[in-house]
Amino acid sequence: MDKKLQVNNLTISFRTQAGKVQAVRDISFDLEKGETLAIVGESGSGKSVTSKAIMGISAVNAIVESGEIIYDGKDLLKISEEEMVKLRGDKIAMIFQDPMSSLNPIMRIGRQLTEAMLLKAKASMRNARTIFNAHLKLLNKNLDEALGESEKENNRNICKTFDEFCINSAKLESAYNKIHRTAVELKLDLEHALFLVSKNHEIDERKVLKTAITQMPLTAHPDIVVMTDEIKNDIEELKAGLKSLGLFGKVDALPGNTKEILQKFVGILEKAIDRPKPNYFTLGYYMLKNPDANVDDLSIEDLTKLTREFLDNDFMIDFIAKGEKAVANSRQKSLDKKQALLAQLESAKEHFKAAELDKKATNGLIAQLSKGVEDAIDHLTIHKNNMEYIFRSSIKNEVNKYFTAIINNPKEQKRFDKQTAKFNKLIEKGKQPDWKVVPAALTDLELVKANAIRIIQNLIDSYNSDLSKDNVFDAHQEMVDLIDFLKEQASAVVYKVTPKMAKAKAIKLMEEVGIPEPAIRYNQYPFEFSGGMRQRIVIAIALAANPDILICDEPTTALDVTIQSQILELINKIKVERNLSVIFITHDLGVVANMADRIAVMYAGKIVEYGTAEDVFYDPRHPYTWALLASMPDLDTDDKLDAIPGTPPNMIYPPKGDAFAARNKYALEIDFEVQPPMFKISDTHYAATWLLHPDAPKAQPPKIILDRIARMKNLNKEEN
Amino acid sequence: MKRNFDNAETLITVDNLCQFFKMGKRELKAVNNVSFDIKKGEVFGLVGESGCGKTTTGRTIIKLYNATSGNVYFEGQRIVAGTRSYKENIKQKREELKKAIEALDKNSAEFSTEKARLTAEANAYIKAQREEIKKANYDQKNCDKVYAEKLQKELHAKYEELINNASTDEEKANLKAELDKELKKAKRAKLVTKIQMIFQDPIASLDPRMTVREIISEGLVIQGEKDKKVIDEKVFEMLELVGLVREHAGRYPHEFSGGQRQRIGVARSIIMQPDMIIADEPVSALDVSIQAQVINLLNELREKMGLTILFIAHDLSVVKYFSDRIGVMYFGNMVELASSDELFAHPLHPYTKSLLSAIPLPDPNYEKQRKRIVYNPIAEHDYSVNKPSMREVAPNHFVYCNDAEFEKYQQQLQGK
Repeated sequence: MDKKLQVNNLTISFRTQAGKVQAVRDISFDLEKGETLAIVGESGSGKSVTSKAIMGISAVNAIVESGEIIYDGKDLLKISEEEMVKLRGDKIAMIFQDPMSSLNPIMRIGRQLTEAMLLKAKASMRNARTIFNAHLKLLNKNLDEALGESEKENNRNICKTFDEFCINSAKLESAYNKIHRTAVELKLDLEHALFLVSKNHEIDERKVLKTAITQMPLTAHPDIVVMTDEIKNDIEELKAGLKSLGLFGKVDALPGNTKEILQKFVGILEKAIDRPKPNYFTLGYYMLKNPDANVDDLSIEDLTKLTREFLDNDFMIDFIAKGEKAVANSRQKSLDKKQALLAQLESAKEHFKAAELDKKATNGLIAQLSKGVEDAIDHLTIHKNNMEYIFRSSIKNEVNKYFTAIINNPKEQKRFDKQTAKFNKLIEKGKQPDWKVVPAALTDLELVKANAIRIIQNLIDSYNSDLSKDNVFDAHQEMVDLIDFLKEQASAVVYKVTPKMAKAKAIKLMEEVGIPEPAIRYNQYPFEFSGGMRQRIVIAIALAANPDILICDEPTTALDVTIQSQILELINKIKVERNLSVIFITHDLGVVANMADRIAVMYAGKIVEYGTAEDVFYDPRHPYTWALLASMPDLDTDDKLDAIPGTPPNMIYPPKGDAFAARNKYALEIDFEVQPPMFKISDTHYAATWLLHPDAPKAQPPKIILDRIARMKNLNKEEN
Repeated sequence: MKRNFDNAETLITVDNLCQFFKMGKRELKAVNNVSFDIKKGEVFGLVGESGCGKTTTGRTIIKLYNATSGNVYFEGQRIVAGTRSYKENIKQKREELKKAIEALDKNSAEFSTEKARLTAEANAYIKAQREEIKKANYDQKNCDKVYAEKLQKELHAKYEELINNASTDEEKANLKAELDKELKKAKRAKLVTKIQMIFQDPIASLDPRMTVREIISEGLVIQGEKDKKVIDEKVFEMLELVGLVREHAGRYPHEFSGGQRQRIGVARSIIMQPDMIIADEPVSALDVSIQAQVINLLNELREKMGLTILFIAHDLSVVKYFSDRIGVMYFGNMVELASSDELFAHPLHPYTKSLLSAIPLPDPNYEKQRKRIVYNPIAEHDYSVNKPSMREVAPNHFVYCNDAEFEKYQQQLQGK
């Protein structure tokens, strides 16, 4: 399975006036592609702190004590803010609990939805052009080196041709895509209009019809819909019919054959939409070389064949053959540099093993190393090794931590000693002070040094594997991948988002998340929306960026059942469609049953039970999971509810043993003394409770849960 | 266990209540012709999606808004009275009159007498309606005064007898002093304080700059209670009743957890010895484990104090667990009303069905197969000819439907 996100041994605490609050204590989990992981727990159990750490938006007083969060080969806790900005919202999006705090109260909803789209589209256009140019330039340079000086002029020409036709193809394709999309939307609109007309409904069929009819001519494109005179006549007839309607006309006033005309339109569009798409990449080259050629008469298969042959013979085969050499050249250069760098890295490891580090020497060393590593990166390959890219920021981070700690540690120790002395003095005097000594927050210097060595070692390992992999390098595949990548960039270059398009997309998104009358709502302010509607807007904003991982922090807590289930369905649907990975945070176990593939139950900063949804619901093992399940009523509950007594512990002074022991009916004596380890129940199911120890007394879950599980099993049997 | 309230006394009657809000030129019909009544000691659940008007209904009943039209009777006394319906009646009558006069033959001999007769008839009707408006306005404004006067009268009657029967002068004087004191209290008594409210968000509904003692006792102080000892005693009593301790009285709201804050909200509402509590989503902002604590608390209080509760919520499992009868609202209209068991066993209105199909259950296998029924009013109903109204399909089971649907629902019930 493809692991999207890995969290290892994450520990986070908060520095507060009263002391260090340990919010997250050594948790590990991973998230696979296309999977939903639910994190369940009471407020204050550290679920939101975890998700905020993943997003890189921890509060200012948060300290990440240890651990790593690995996404796409990068440790999110180490990368620089500039790199995080590229991921946050774009790759990892988050939906917050309180929709009002994620919306700007003095901006209209429409502006808030389209703002990011417009800015991002502009930026990505610029960005794509820069990347495209940089890669092509690099390719050109390597071509020169690989083929020798004599080919210089020729190389420049083929790169220029490639640039031109790539962009040309992308332009043609984007025009086609736009019209195709219009046709698909129009078909839906027309079907809706047909439905209204057949129902004799009098609300706003006029508007639907009007938009449909004005859109119809827009779909005219040789590959989509051919505008015959007959269709034009029909459109005119409908238009005249619409015009004759007064302000509040009824459908009867429309021409009698409206239904037939609409049905015909739908039929035409249906056929057109299913037509195969021409290959615009090859067509773009063909049109560039033969601008006057008439291709309208050819069938799409013939056209594709013709243009493909033309492109291959005229340009592509030669281009790929030459490109292979260039790619191999670039790689060889990089490998040579890496080989040279290895010895330097080994010696750097020794440097960090010293008892005390010299600031100047260390800074000089890492500056030199970072430069060497960055020089050795093979920029032409698109299969990037992230270890090389984050080396500078991660090592710098560790070194800075070391030198700040050298200054701060003695200060902190002094404060701690002073406070302890004062406290002891008071005790000696027989007074009972109403404050406690804040524990010293010291940085472990040895750990920091070990981390630095680990970073270097990781890099050495990755270099070694690169060097040994030399013989399996496939230059042809590499070149084809590069061309695909450039094609992608080219289509991003021509993908222009106008305010009108953004508005259309925003309204569509609003419709998708279930906001009625989106066109009117588009111009309203957040305060004019009810809670559920606001949350939908927030979800629409999060989805607008097409993220990779979606973190939902109690997205439905403030919503009512129908909307809750609509929104859960929405998230599920999007998850499947876009193969999203979802982290779903909630306190309501009922909600996660239909969402989650796996569930992690958290209490007081620790994961206490971890398993698939079936494991946790049909065979819960931890008393806290029992308590959570027992405290919520379902439709057959009649008895008194089993509320969990008391409140969660104060995490400034975390309890010695199991944190849940004080509120736990089933607590054993050992629970108050020693923290239970994770016991393995099955390959997918783990729980941290002493009840699972072979020597522990047998404990049954509360009756309410046993009854419910029995009922659920019966129900499932009946259905099967 | 669900209890039966068929024979209990009616505490509150909501009669064709309408609450419209102005939205620019348009009018938002937040609550449209909602009628129901709640028996003494009953828990009446009001469910529906957000924006359907359930909170507005609660707030209109407690007079946080001025009702547009319709009445609310509490313990027989009209406390909410809107005037829109009467005004519309007048308008309609005037138009009718105009049409009737136009239809008359102008040249005939009886024209003037006929016209005069019609006008007089209409004017009488209009006058009657105006009287109604006057009465409604008076009740809307002065229901507390009326109630206070009633209380005073009762007190007079009660003490008159006692005083007459008293043997010694001293006793008479004592009784008179007592009467004066009671009268003073009765003068300030307000009927609406017999209804109290618990709000959704325990953080937003408590003043962060007041101690818990001040928050809980505020209602008493406003009613004129000056004796600190009495206030403290009452506050402590309430705190203990809701499961907090005396020491909490001196603290501020931010020092409490969510569940405890909601308990403070409950304590504040029950200190007035209300007959009825409007609980507006009291648990939806709380953690599941704490929800159970608050629901258990409300359940205990209802038994101890004989409270009647209007329970507004969107979590159907909680409503089912807690309520005796349930009303389902959709876009300002009540669409179905039945006892909670009946509603969950035989839902009739398509919107109710869609609501029930959306309840999440802690059962992954069931959940993965669950199909949510989508409610689309345009596709479901054809109200172009026959307008719908609230009809009793089975005993105590009301559905908003027209004639055709009424028959369909009855057949559905019999088929089962």
